[in-house]
Amino acid sequence: MRKYLLAAGFSAMLAVSAAHADTVKIGLLGGQTGGLASLDQPLLHGAELAVEEINAKGGVDGKQLELISRDTRSDTGETAVMANEMVGLQVNFLVTPCDGDTTIAAGQAGQAAGIVTISGCASPPILAGNVGDYLFLNATPDNIQATALAEFAEKQGYKTALTLISPDSPYTDKLPQYFATVFEKDGGKVVSTVTYKMGQQDFSVEVSKIRDISPKPDVIVTSAFEPDFPAFIKQLRAAGVDIPVLGADAIDTATTFALGAAAEGVVFATHGFPENGNRLEQFDKRYQAKFGSAPESIFAALGYDLIEIIAATVKGAGGSLDGTALQASLNNIENLEITTGSITYKGMNRVPNRQVALVRVVDGKPQHVEDIIPDASKIPAP
Amino acid sequence: MEFFLQQFINAMALGGTYALIAIGLAMIFSVMNLINFAHGELMTIGGYVLFFLLVMGMPFGAALLLSLVAAALAAVAMELVAFRPFRNADIVTMLLTSFAVSSILHVLFQNFIGVRPKAIAVPPAISGALTFGTFNVGVVPLISILASVVSVVALVLFLRTTHVGVAMRAAAQDFRTTQLMGINANAVILAAFAISGLLAGVAGALWIFQRGAVDPVMGVMPLLKAFIAVVVGGLGSLPGAAVGGLLLGTLEVFLRAYLPEGLLPFRDAISLSLVIGIFTFYPHGLFGDADAVR
Repeated sequence: MRKYLLAAGFSAMLAVSAAHADTVKIGLLGGQTGGLASLDQPLLHGAELAVEEINAKGGVDGKQLELISRDTRSDTGETAVMANEMVGLQVNFLVTPCDGDTTIAAGQAGQAAGIVTISGCASPPILAGNVGDYLFLNATPDNIQATALAEFAEKQGYKTALTLISPDSPYTDKLPQYFATVFEKDGGKVVSTVTYKMGQQDFSVEVSKIRDISPKPDVIVTSAFEPDFPAFIKQLRAAGVDIPVLGADAIDTATTFALGAAAEGVVFATHGFPENGNRLEQFDKRYQAKFGSAPESIFAALGYDLIEIIAATVKGAGGSLDGTALQASLNNIENLEITTGSITYKGMNRVPNRQVALVRVVDGKPQHVEDIIPDASKIPAP
Repeated sequence: MEFFLQQFINAMALGGTYALIAIGLAMIFSVMNLINFAHGELMTIGGYVLFFLLVMGMPFGAALLLSLVAAALAAVAMELVAFRPFRNADIVTMLLTSFAVSSILHVLFQNFIGVRPKAIAVPPAISGALTFGTFNVGVVPLISILASVVSVVALVLFLRTTHVGVAMRAAAQDFRTTQLMGINANAVILAAFAISGLLAGVAGALWIFQRGAVDPVMGVMPLLKAFIAVVVGGLGSLPGAAVGGLLLGTLEVFLRAYLPEGLLPFRDAISLSLVIGIFTFYPHGLFGDADAVR
């Protein structure tokens, strides 16, 4: 009996150490509760599905993926602590939450330890420069979304624009400004910029300011999102202002489509559009089968993308899980087919170029307008 | 002038909503020295009940009325479950209890209902605008003003003409003496919670008309604003809470409307500095009593 136990213990130890060598550890930090939950929760679900499916097919080059996730409660301080915990666990990849502050906090831990760190869905392109050469983005960066929106606006014949910005976050502040840069370079004019505060709810003053601008601008561009965007668009339309509105990926959620007449005709940039049996549509079906409900937002698919990118990075590094090898491999990814479309890191300074899908709200449903891969020369610097 | 008039209506609408929340807070404080930081969650509860009733296919008006009732019942439940065991406890103990109730409710909403906002389709009749010549005013701000006025008038009538109302006013002045007069403390406090819940329900509905969705942390921001309003008005004073709410709403709207663009990011700092200015002249708030509990 004693011998048997010893043998069992020994083989268990062997199994553990073998698993250690053949495992790619991914530390995923996300605000599963709190302010970031609406982005980080679906992202985690998408990532879980990807890990399960890739492992079921034998993993990546024989290595299984191991997802270690932590709830940061959307708190920057907690995120930094948990990032250090992940460094202690010797993860091969660190995934940071979906906003700038937490990504910078966790990214610094990853940077210092030489661990490839990817932000789950933060999109400000300045982040990569802020943190360092181990921080990569996953989502379509703001300047690329803005370029696609500007190209669309020009095609519609819009000559003048109004931007609605909030200085409270890089996303709500910079994205409309990137739009302005491209739009004005091409001969358009931003006639006015109106500022709001995130979470203010009451947009009556801003709406009356917009209504009093004469002559009225051809289009309003904003990266406001919930709960600000629904409040803004409702109050704007209620005041009888019918200027077209362009938005960005953070409003690609069920709430926008449930707003009724107020949101009708709004066009926004996002990461992909499920149709005609494309990979995104297939993903939505498999997600439904696993979780029992459709993905809450596009961010679930971005979670799947993320794991696919990690898998491609591991493959490209030729069996090495060394930080520098993984970093070089990720920097070398070009036109990788992922769930939402395709992605390129090569030559992009860790801020990927992605295809941008434009979606219009029609009768409370999403309608695919077009896909734009912006002309790289037009994309404004972060 | 037209712009000013527009902003005046906006100010009264926002201030009225703040006032409704602030009056509810002040009412609870006046009878039991509790600053209920879970008061904002009553707005959220009303919002979720409205959402689920609409999903079940109930007509909007009926669902709205039931959501107000639900907010009032939730307030009563809060008192019975969380606050009654701490009756007469230290003010800090009750304050922390209310923070705990608020956090627990946030987590419950997030885990059992969902982190994503639930959209509530507001009927077109109350999301449009009325036009008078060149003057254009949204229906929601008008409803907000009307609902605030009706609620306050009803509250004043209740406090002046009913037995429980008079008992509540007496309790606010001196609870111990009121009890010695044979008034049932539990009844007075339950009534205060029910009314504060009802007011929170009305404010929550007005809030949802503006934003079109309910989410787990919807009540946090308006509660903070209402808390400032209560303190400005003088802790525990109902007229003070109403005036404080209107004042804060007016300050916010006019600063947003008339500050130059470059100063706009500082508007909260400016409005709160003005509030501090009020305290230098009225250290106990506008209607505050120097002998009130500190």
